[in-house]
Amino acid sequence: MSLFHWLILRHLKQNFLRSILTIASIAVGVAVVVAIQLANRSSVRGFEAALNAIAGRTSLEITVAGVDIEETRLTELGWLREYGLVSPLIDADVLLRPASRRFGAGNEAEIVRLLGVDILRDQPFRDYRLLESDGRELVTTQEFLQLLTDSRAVVITAAFADRYGLEVGSELDLIAGTRASALVVRGVLGDEGPARVSDGNFALMDIAAAQWVLGRLGRVDRVDIRLTDGMDVDLAEQAIRERLPVGFSVGRPVRRVAQVERMLRAFHFNLTALSFVALLVGLFLVYNTVAVSVITRRVEIGILRTVGISRGTVLRLFLGEAIALALVGCVLGVPLGWVLAQEAVRLTSSTVSQFWVATAATVPPLDLGYVAAAFAIGLPLSMVAAAIPAAEAAALTPLATVRSDDHLDMREQLPRRFLVGALLLFLVGGWLATREPVGGLPVFGLLSVLAVVFGAVLLVPVVLFGFSNWGKRTITRWLNVECRLAYANLGSAIPRLSISVAALAVSLAMMVAIAIMVGSFRETVVYWVGQTLQADLYAASARQGSATDPVAISSEVEATIARHPAVVAIDGFASVDVAYGDSLIVVGSGRFGVLLEYGGLLFKAPEDWRHAMAGAVGVDAVVVSESFSLQHGKQVGDSVTLQTPRGPVPFRIAAVYFDYSNDRGVVVMDREIFEQHYAVRRPTGLSIYLDSGSDPVSVRDGILATLGPDRRVIINTNSALRTEGLRIFDSTFTITYALEVIAIVVSIFGVAAMLLTLVLDRKQEIAMLRLVGAERCHLRRIVMIEAGVLGIVSQAIGLVIGLVLSVILIYVINVQSFGWTIQFHIPGVFLVQSSLTILVATILAGLYPARVAGRFAMSDLSAEG
Amino acid sequence: MRRDGGRLLSGCRRVRVRRESLGWQVAVFLGVVAVPAMLLHAQEGNQTEWKAATPSYTLAFPRDHASHPDYKIEWWYYTGNLLTSDARRFGYQLTFFRIGVDPNPINPSRWAVRDLYMAHLAVTDVDGQTHQVAERLNRDGVGWAGASTETLHVWNENWSILLDGDTHILRATTDDRMVRLDLQLEPLKAAVLHGDAGYSRKGAAAGNASHYYSLTRLRTSGTLQLNGATLNVEGQSWMDHEFGTSFLEPSQVGWDWFSIQLNDDTDVMVYVFRHPDGSIDPHSSGTVVGTSGITRLGAGDYQLVPGRVWESPTSGAAYPVEWKIEIPQSDLVLNVAAAVDAQELHTDRSTGVIYWEGTIDVTGTRAGKQVWGSGYLEMTGYAGRPMSEFFR
Repeated sequence: MSLFHWLILRHLKQNFLRSILTIASIAVGVAVVVAIQLANRSSVRGFEAALNAIAGRTSLEITVAGVDIEETRLTELGWLREYGLVSPLIDADVLLRPASRRFGAGNEAEIVRLLGVDILRDQPFRDYRLLESDGRELVTTQEFLQLLTDSRAVVITAAFADRYGLEVGSELDLIAGTRASALVVRGVLGDEGPARVSDGNFALMDIAAAQWVLGRLGRVDRVDIRLTDGMDVDLAEQAIRERLPVGFSVGRPVRRVAQVERMLRAFHFNLTALSFVALLVGLFLVYNTVAVSVITRRVEIGILRTVGISRGTVLRLFLGEAIALALVGCVLGVPLGWVLAQEAVRLTSSTVSQFWVATAATVPPLDLGYVAAAFAIGLPLSMVAAAIPAAEAAALTPLATVRSDDHLDMREQLPRRFLVGALLLFLVGGWLATREPVGGLPVFGLLSVLAVVFGAVLLVPVVLFGFSNWGKRTITRWLNVECRLAYANLGSAIPRLSISVAALAVSLAMMVAIAIMVGSFRETVVYWVGQTLQADLYAASARQGSATDPVAISSEVEATIARHPAVVAIDGFASVDVAYGDSLIVVGSGRFGVLLEYGGLLFKAPEDWRHAMAGAVGVDAVVVSESFSLQHGKQVGDSVTLQTPRGPVPFRIAAVYFDYSNDRGVVVMDREIFEQHYAVRRPTGLSIYLDSGSDPVSVRDGILATLGPDRRVIINTNSALRTEGLRIFDSTFTITYALEVIAIVVSIFGVAAMLLTLVLDRKQEIAMLRLVGAERCHLRRIVMIEAGVLGIVSQAIGLVIGLVLSVILIYVINVQSFGWTIQFHIPGVFLVQSSLTILVATILAGLYPARVAGRFAMSDLSAEG
Repeated sequence: MRRDGGRLLSGCRRVRVRRESLGWQVAVFLGVVAVPAMLLHAQEGNQTEWKAATPSYTLAFPRDHASHPDYKIEWWYYTGNLLTSDARRFGYQLTFFRIGVDPNPINPSRWAVRDLYMAHLAVTDVDGQTHQVAERLNRDGVGWAGASTETLHVWNENWSILLDGDTHILRATTDDRMVRLDLQLEPLKAAVLHGDAGYSRKGAAAGNASHYYSLTRLRTSGTLQLNGATLNVEGQSWMDHEFGTSFLEPSQVGWDWFSIQLNDDTDVMVYVFRHPDGSIDPHSSGTVVGTSGITRLGAGDYQLVPGRVWESPTSGAAYPVEWKIEIPQSDLVLNVAAAVDAQELHTDRSTGVIYWEGTIDVTGTRAGKQVWGSGYLEMTGYAGRPMSEFFR
């Protein structure tokens, strides 16, 4: 221990800045990994928590494929009582607005999860604790039973009541889709059970009142079953499944969590992979620190070896250094990760809702599992990173340590070996890129990226040596003294520099790759939006209702819109979520006739899509999205069997179209066919085509004025919708950029630390330069030039490797994860801008080492031997 | 008792809707459900009157076994004493209630509550000294509970009464499957109309009355499943059917009600309302169904004398579990004793109603001749808040 203190800790303390940088980089790396895990977890967890709170003690639930249940069919299910308690319910998202805000700015309504239950039956399923308005538990049956008979009665949560100063007797407006109804608060729920959903945005009504207020008479969303205590859930599920009429299905509530997890899996997997890039950079720095530590203490190592310290002890000493650094890094990284996760969740919440999970994501508490995982990842990886320099230190013979070479045992022939290694890795990467995905995840694609990254790492010293040799013969002739000195300094320190340059180059490569991918994706989406958004106006209901019965646009609203003189055609879009295999897909409908006339889909196959679409009107044929086609291996002409309320029905695939708005697969059929299989339903969105002369904005304002303030329909113009689409797109990738910026900042710090080491090592030499007449400014300039050269080399390598990686990202990982075709496009302006920025940043990173170099005086010359 | 009953409907789900002739539960629902409901609907301008019981209504059978939805409150009440072949004795009670809430709901939803349907099952194992209870509370909704207006068919999920010819078929299973009743009941006597040809006056105020008849003796056979064992049972049952709209008055704070079947083929039903000062309400009454005819009793025609008291360890209430009944008109002196002392029922804290109901042994003399038999006893108003609170 004292040896460890003497050799390692003392050294770390002496090189405080470098130690801090290394620790910081590990901390950031670990933090990013932890943050992504937490953020991933939180998106599913928000959904899961809400689901569990709502499901309560429900063991199984009965649903009908994609749609709600016609309640008279429940009489066919009386036998369910043999298995336990049965509770039909309405489960919808609505807007609630306190009556006091009725004449406010209009945005005072909040989205609330509304459960309409038979309160006589539902109580064993869920915990409801009814409070008096003063917080006392409600003791009279009387008030609760009013819920049975008062069709305006609603129970809200204490949290919601507090927020708006509501109490029993207060009035509220409930807004569902295009209708608003006045309700009276008849009870307040304590913080328990479903009331805990999303900050208390929960409301309870009796099923009769809920049906009436939501305009859903005769329908329920699902039937919950609480099995008799002691009954085996699997056996009961099996038995019930066998007895259910065609079209009904049974499952555990938790299956919906699994479906959501599956939907988000590819997204999460890629984020996780990306987070490891940040960690990788930290590990480069561990390597760097330990390597420098070994180099600068050759003499001490020699002495230790001479006095009989074993190789094993030397190895352990330097591994110990890595562990000490990593330990501190992990300790700091875990809480930092939690902070980052909060930010990441804020950034990704729009992304996640794009992915269908409309719930307030909250970061889960930092439990021991995450802490343990951080250490389990950080410590061993740091040891691996330190293994090479530590092993080299251990391999030093006492004799070698007294020789004056100041680098590790790195000979001129090494570059050739590195070149071979790099080429091999590139080949492996190329091969990996051609492999199929594993379980829908681009495992080999990411391994391919990894191979290319490591190939790039091996390539760095080769490039540096090449650059150095070429420079020696050519450039130096034209350059001034500072440049030559800088060049010579760098040339002699290549083995050490390689790692820092590699770290920066890899970070830059990832940045470039992602910039190219996102840029290409954006171009593709812009084109697609242009082709797809053909209508002039788009109308949507203010808020989606239940999953099985989204709040639709009423026929009066549609009629009002159609009456406007400028409107020439209207197409409605209705859709349901249907289980397909293990995942949930969207089954939608539109009028194929209108589509043929006005466009509105961008087709991938077949070539003659007009003919194919004409043949799909009014028959059991569908067009499927590209992602559906790829994920489920279905082509034009294949048959796809969909669950409908009347059982499974096969449909022929007439065409495949591009859809970048959804990665879980969309199947679209002609309106008439959809209504035939999934019952007639009002559309949730309308595409409105205007005559060529009219101004969309004034037509929209005209329609809204006719509809009046209580018609809660949102109408967007074509251009507003395009802008909104791109805004969502851009926010989706914010997190990606944030991660990369972190990696680059860490690597620039790495370069600064490396330069500082070089400066400190050359103390004698610099003092000598001062002796021969060099001014401070000269010395500073030398270091700044060194920094600049490193920046240029890193950026050059980064650009080339980034281009390669972007190809893998676009054509392998994206396709395997999301199933989208992206047209390759290089965002030139962005790349030039970012290259310059990074160059400047690297030069600025040279400022501190430059200042340190400038401080050396002639007196330092005599300080050491 | 199930623990999960508690929160949402404290007071309602756990209400052990018991008995009877003037079940306090009726009062509870009058007070708790119906009145606010009527007020509410009065506000919405949708009030429709329930029909009041009138002396002019003539009961006819089998028509009047069926439901009378024009009246606010109605129940079908079965109690009985059963024996297995090895002479194990059980008491059972199965009651179905229909409580009108809103005769004409404005909400067109199927789930809108016009009536509430409640049902209650209790089984006493006399040898095992246990008392098991369960209940159901539902709206008709999509037909999961209801009462036919055509014939005697009342159901509450998988509990039901069905008239098949003359046979009353009773079925009920508790959720935990520990109790299952499957009985066939054959009436041995014609329906007995209480009060004035079935018009039974309950209070001083006009209209506080019901239509009330009994099948006082039904030969009963079938199976009783108890805690996993299936037992073939035989015995005798008693059936009450009562319907009306307004029943009780605030001063009627509690009551004691008896149904008794004697070995000499005599059946007796008597009850008293108790006032807060302990006096007996003049609208207490009874009926004796003898071999030679039916005797209707006014409040002064009989005497109920409480005897041994059992103190409930849970509520602290002191119930007379032994009684002496004297009906001079019929020359009857009967000694009544609870077959099991602990047949007390607790409703939860919200209503505070605690009461006793259970199977009884009866011995005595009729005109000096030894008689014996069994029956059911209900006692209310001995613990918790005074019953009058539920009347308001």
